Amino acid sequence: MLIREIGVLIRKEFDLEIRNKVAIGGILLYVVTTVFLCYLSFRELQDTTVWNTLFWVILLFSALNTISKSFQTESRYRLLYLYTLVSPAAVILSKMIYNILLMGITALVTLLFYSLFLGTSPLEGANAGMYLVALLLGCAGFAGIFTMIAAIAAKTGNQLGIMAILGFPLILPLLLTLIGLSGIALRGLPWEYGTTELLILTGLNILIAALSYILFPYLWRE
Amino acid sequence: MKTLLFLILALLYSYDSFAGGIETSMHAAGKMNVTLGVIAIIFIGIVVYLFLIDRKITRLEKEIKERQS
Amino acid sequence: MKNWWKYLSVALLLYVIVVSLNTPLGPGLTAVSPENLNTGENSEIKVIGYNTHFRNNPPDMQHPGVWLESDGFHLTCNNVEVIDDQELHFSVEVPDELPSKSLHVFVSYDEGTFMLPNAFRAEQSVKNDQLKNEAPESFSGSVTAFYFPNREILRESIRNLMFHVPMWFTMMLLMTISVVYSIKYLSGLNPDHDLIARQAVNVGLLFGILGLLTGSLWARFTWGQWWVSDTKLNGAAITTLIYFAYTILRGSINEEQNKARVAAVYNVFAYVILIVLLMVLPRLTDSLHPGNGGNPAFSSYDLDNALRTVFYPAVLGWMGISLWILQLRNRTERIKQQIENA
Repeated sequence: MLIREIGVLIRKEFDLEIRNKVAIGGILLYVVTTVFLCYLSFRELQDTTVWNTLFWVILLFSALNTISKSFQTESRYRLLYLYTLVSPAAVILSKMIYNILLMGITALVTLLFYSLFLGTSPLEGANAGMYLVALLLGCAGFAGIFTMIAAIAAKTGNQLGIMAILGFPLILPLLLTLIGLSGIALRGLPWEYGTTELLILTGLNILIAALSYILFPYLWRE
Repeated sequence: MKTLLFLILALLYSYDSFAGGIETSMHAAGKMNVTLGVIAIIFIGIVVYLFLIDRKITRLEKEIKERQS
Repeated sequence: MKNWWKYLSVALLLYVIVVSLNTPLGPGLTAVSPENLNTGENSEIKVIGYNTHFRNNPPDMQHPGVWLESDGFHLTCNNVEVIDDQELHFSVEVPDELPSKSLHVFVSYDEGTFMLPNAFRAEQSVKNDQLKNEAPESFSGSVTAFYFPNREILRESIRNLMFHVPMWFTMMLLMTISVVYSIKYLSGLNPDHDLIARQAVNVGLLFGILGLLTGSLWARFTWGQWWVSDTKLNGAAITTLIYFAYTILRGSINEEQNKARVAAVYNVFAYVILIVLLMVLPRLTDSLHPGNGGNPAFSSYDLDNALRTVFYPAVLGWMGISLWILQLRNRTERIKQQIENA
């Protein structure tokens, strides 16, 4: 039942997104502009650590930007109408899954432009599989935390500002572990070296999903 | 509030000119003054907090009085 | 005796202040001069002790035993002369070859054996790893007085353990209380639970700020900087940021019931992630704080017995005081609500 509701809601999100092409175009433009800005300031980055950290910081900000609108576009009445039809858990989980997909696309586009402008030298000799897993877990984590924070911030007037204040301290364990794991991957080390980070990231993602599943219904009890 | 701000600014300014003095005094006597400084910070912090609670209660008392009259 | 715990915590803190400020620091070595030794030469050296009594010696010895050590190679010093209880003069013949450039100094007498690590640097020494010899006879100390350990860098400021460290324990206690009441609020929607959760964050922030300020001062005069990048420090700063965000979130919602519910949801969400953060962070970075490698500070594993007898009462005492302040705030806030509703 829940799964069918989630499926329908994700379809709805896609339909809305495709109908409103400006939004997705805005995200892409945001990513390209930021990367280009970094290119103009840095020219080329040889240092793998800086390259890696800067990439995650750019991705963090684009995640904030992308996900902040996930509750803004829904009017209060449409949400109320939704609750009479489906369970609140389905709403938050569908938004989360949709945002993970959106973040995945954003991350790939960012990586493409980023390596195009700032040099691919750190990617050579990397453990590509581990790097992709880091990217995937990172997108899931960013999407998870920011979706929940967006739901909280939607209750206030100042959505984007509040989201940054609430979200950044919470995203920190995720960000640090991600930078660690992708650093290991970029150095081309085998999987054994990243076991701790992989466990932490997987655990965090499950924890965030579980917390959102439990807490979100309380946000909407009017 | 203005006095407090003035005091803080004066303290910062004096720290600048006496930085050497504070430096030596903190390292003197086996760094005992560091402990005293820490105790002073905690004491001042808690006292300021108590003053804030006190002000709140005074305001409430005033309100009660106004309502009774 | 309804308020027994308030009296108890005041008594505990009184005990903590009196004992922690009155207990003397154990003996230790603080400085040597000169700090650079020329190899192949005879050097005259001065050692300064702190709370030492160099004049007390075992009956069969006239002088404290003094020797230098460099990676398992011991150099016995000659002509030891006791100037007073805090000062020793001696001379030492430094050979051309040493296992390492840095040398530790040991002084052994009636009160025990004390060391100043890396006291000297040898100029132009030839590195020779093969040099090894037996350590001279050392005393384990006959004095069993109650004193705090005299640690390198920390010295008297080791007493801050009773004042700075409990601030963090107290803050985490208050934040935990806040989360418990937030959960209670979400399950019962009792406004009083929300009130307690909010006030606990407020008082917790007071202790968080005090912890940051005192830690900053202590760090400046031990590690040399107002802020050092350290796991515990960064964790504490992030905790404070999260709860400041909580107060800002409350401030930006107008409707009262809405505010309470949204804030409670954020509180639970943030607390769980915070706990994960505090567990994850130390794995990813090195710490200057106890228990992490190369740290001259005390480690939580070998917290000295003398420190322990004061530290545990200090934690309980500060927690008691914080709960008292919390109770005062709760009562004030309830009166305010009664007035508004009347």
